[in-house]
Amino acid sequence: MINTSPEPLLTLSNVNTFYGQAQVHFDLSITVSRGHIVCLLGGNASGKSTTMKIILGLVKPRSGEVTFDGASLIGLSTPQIVRRGIASVPEARRLFADMSVRENILMGAFVRNDREAVAQDLDRMLTLFPKLGQRLSQRAGSLSGGEQQMVAMARALMSRPRMIVMDEPTMGLSPLYVDRVLELIRSINQVGVSVFMVEQNASLALEIAHEAYVLQTGRIVLSGPARALKDDPRIRDAYLGGSEAA
Amino acid sequence: MSSWLDYTINGLIVGNVYALVAVGLALIFGVSRLINFAQGSIYLVGAYIGWVAVVRLHTPLPLTIIVVAAAAAVVGLIIERFGLRPLQNSVRIAPLLATIGISFVLDQLVMLTFSPNPRALPSQLPDVRFQLGGGTIGPLDLLIAGVGLTSALLLFVFLRYTKLGWAVRATAQDRDAAMQMGVDVNRVNQAVFGIAAALGGVSGMLVGMYYNQIDTAMSLQATLKGVVAEVVGGAGNVPGAVIGSLLLGLVESYGVAILGTSYRNLFAFLLLVVVLVLRPNGLFVSARQAPPEPLTGTFVAPSRPVHIPRLVLLVAVAGFALLPLFPVSFYVLQTLINAWLLGMLALSLTLVAGTMGQVSLGHAALLAIGAYTSALLSLTLAVPTGLAVIGGGLMSAALGTLLISPSFRLRGHYVSIATLAIGEIVSLVILNWESVTRGPIGISGIPPLSLFGYDLISPSSVYWFSLAVMVVLALLQGRLLSSHLGRSFRAIRDDDIAARAYGLSLNRYKSLAFIFGGFAAGISGGIAAHLYSYINHETFNTQQSILALTVVILGGLGNVVGAIAGSVALVGLPELFRIAAEYRILIYGIVLLLLVRFRPQGLLGTI
Repeated sequence: MINTSPEPLLTLSNVNTFYGQAQVHFDLSITVSRGHIVCLLGGNASGKSTTMKIILGLVKPRSGEVTFDGASLIGLSTPQIVRRGIASVPEARRLFADMSVRENILMGAFVRNDREAVAQDLDRMLTLFPKLGQRLSQRAGSLSGGEQQMVAMARALMSRPRMIVMDEPTMGLSPLYVDRVLELIRSINQVGVSVFMVEQNASLALEIAHEAYVLQTGRIVLSGPARALKDDPRIRDAYLGGSEAA
Repeated sequence: MSSWLDYTINGLIVGNVYALVAVGLALIFGVSRLINFAQGSIYLVGAYIGWVAVVRLHTPLPLTIIVVAAAAAVVGLIIERFGLRPLQNSVRIAPLLATIGISFVLDQLVMLTFSPNPRALPSQLPDVRFQLGGGTIGPLDLLIAGVGLTSALLLFVFLRYTKLGWAVRATAQDRDAAMQMGVDVNRVNQAVFGIAAALGGVSGMLVGMYYNQIDTAMSLQATLKGVVAEVVGGAGNVPGAVIGSLLLGLVESYGVAILGTSYRNLFAFLLLVVVLVLRPNGLFVSARQAPPEPLTGTFVAPSRPVHIPRLVLLVAVAGFALLPLFPVSFYVLQTLINAWLLGMLALSLTLVAGTMGQVSLGHAALLAIGAYTSALLSLTLAVPTGLAVIGGGLMSAALGTLLISPSFRLRGHYVSIATLAIGEIVSLVILNWESVTRGPIGISGIPPLSLFGYDLISPSSVYWFSLAVMVVLALLQGRLLSSHLGRSFRAIRDDDIAARAYGLSLNRYKSLAFIFGGFAAGISGGIAAHLYSYINHETFNTQQSILALTVVILGGLGNVVGAIAGSVALVGLPELFRIAAEYRILIYGIVLLLLVRFRPQGLLGTI
């Protein structure tokens, strides 16, 4: 698990974000090392999802720097950022509900033009997610939540990303699927894809992450190796303060 | 029996033409949740480009079709790039208003270039009819059917098998998720506008050939028909739009067979209102499914209204009141009388669209109801005109509210469409209800205004009368807005779900707004009728509704003083600069576009 070169792949430094008058992020700084799983923990309204949107270029920070592989992402459009090698598994999956499962997975390869390799990757996805094989021509909207999560992950992998950002990948899933998703994230990571995930479920996320950050009303209040944070009593405190959700 | 087959064939052919327009609307709605009111203008442009190609350049038919499609596509791309893309981050209704402005500009440009006189557009096809079963079919019918089917097939292949087509479908389903797959949504928008415009342009050309006539009035009709077909099929649903179009064509054709040509449009708009009220998602979506987009969000840009001291207002009113005592020309008074009449309409619309958030595009119907009521009361029942005008206001308040009430359960864009359709229905009923309204002949010899037995004939007396009425209405409205009623209206505008959760009855408050607004507009129409002495079903048309909308946006939505200032500005300035009448609509369109883009809160700010 220990990576020999903790060279940074993605960095956010001193990011300040506003929605109108309201400040969402206060000098946010996060580093995702190459080959690592990094997880961002926090309750409701802590600014987690906005962090995802900043990385993907869906929201522009007022100040601060975001770099990926040494180059700045500030000012790039979302499609340009995706072409740099960042794929996403959005919150609540966000599949193209009226398109088939097959079309959904292939949409993940939208930025690629190597048809044959894309076809091979589709086959690989079906070995990784065997259940989807029987569902290929079904409307994506008709799948169960867990199956949809599989499609969303397969879709993200199809662009052969260097990093995947995931927004609450276990939200709303049955316990069986939660384990399966975590296992998959780990195996995705083992083939060299870095993962940045946003989670509310701290204990699960810390199981698989290398590093973790705890975000509270827009500020990083705690960070460090996941193993150390797992036993930290402040993790619990961070949750009980600042959030009304259990 | 044979004639029924003919009507069926005719309905399907006309339906094919509608489909070309409606499919474009559906594509655009799918991708950007926008009802493109400029679609009919592109159809108009297509028809005139076809005319240039056929009559001036003598191009063969296949080349004509290609030229029209390409030129119309370019127009569509320009609209997307310069009219709509800059509005991407503004309120949802802003692009809708922009397409209205664009359609005015395009229509007027065509009218100025080619004159409003109808032109013949020969089809270059032999004039023969083939027997088909019991009916007949001509080469042009086959051409239209062929173009329709080919377009549908090409569109299917595009959406199903090309990368850009996939991007279009993905964007339609989830714009943000599509971007996260690397889809450039600006390119998707471009593609969709280009395709929609090409189809719309070809449709306009085919219709011109079908009736061998083109004129600038085609534009609004086409937009309305396309919107009807699209909404019937389910907004954003491309196959639905095709079926909706064919259905609309058949309904119209059979309706004409039973009742006559002048009823054609009435069927279309009744179909629209019925579908909007009963199945707002269209006929082919299960009723329990949520609408594709809540379509909320009004155009009311948050702003701090400009404070005008009471003294300044008093001085302004006194100044205008004393004006006739000075040696001013009849022309100046006439212009200001028009401004006061428009001011009453604007008061009505600023209450409904601004304070209440229901962007009505059919407000001219309220003028028409007031005008006809007042004219008929004074002519047939010999009611003194002063009372008749009040009668017009009351009738407009009651009937207008009743007619518009089906739209109370709708929101956003759908309110605009429904009110537009209701406005058209009123005009068509006036045209067809000959025993009461005298139909297309109109009502002439309407007696002049009188008050307590004195005829108001001199320009200054009419001037004072209309100014006084407008000031009284404005004061009443100001009073209304500062009461708890005004607060409730704004609460419903800003968040109707929250307002309902606090126990506000939406229907009751929307009715109240339309009753008050209907009264003001009805009074304005009533006075106008006695002033003009002649009215017909076209006196109060959609152009007036749009002018009123431009006025209230210019003044600041919901702003009482702004509505009046906007009326004076839009009626007065063109007169001041002696701008010829045919350029005025063009200028209104441009003003609307500039406002939406650069000052959505208007001159005096929204309230």
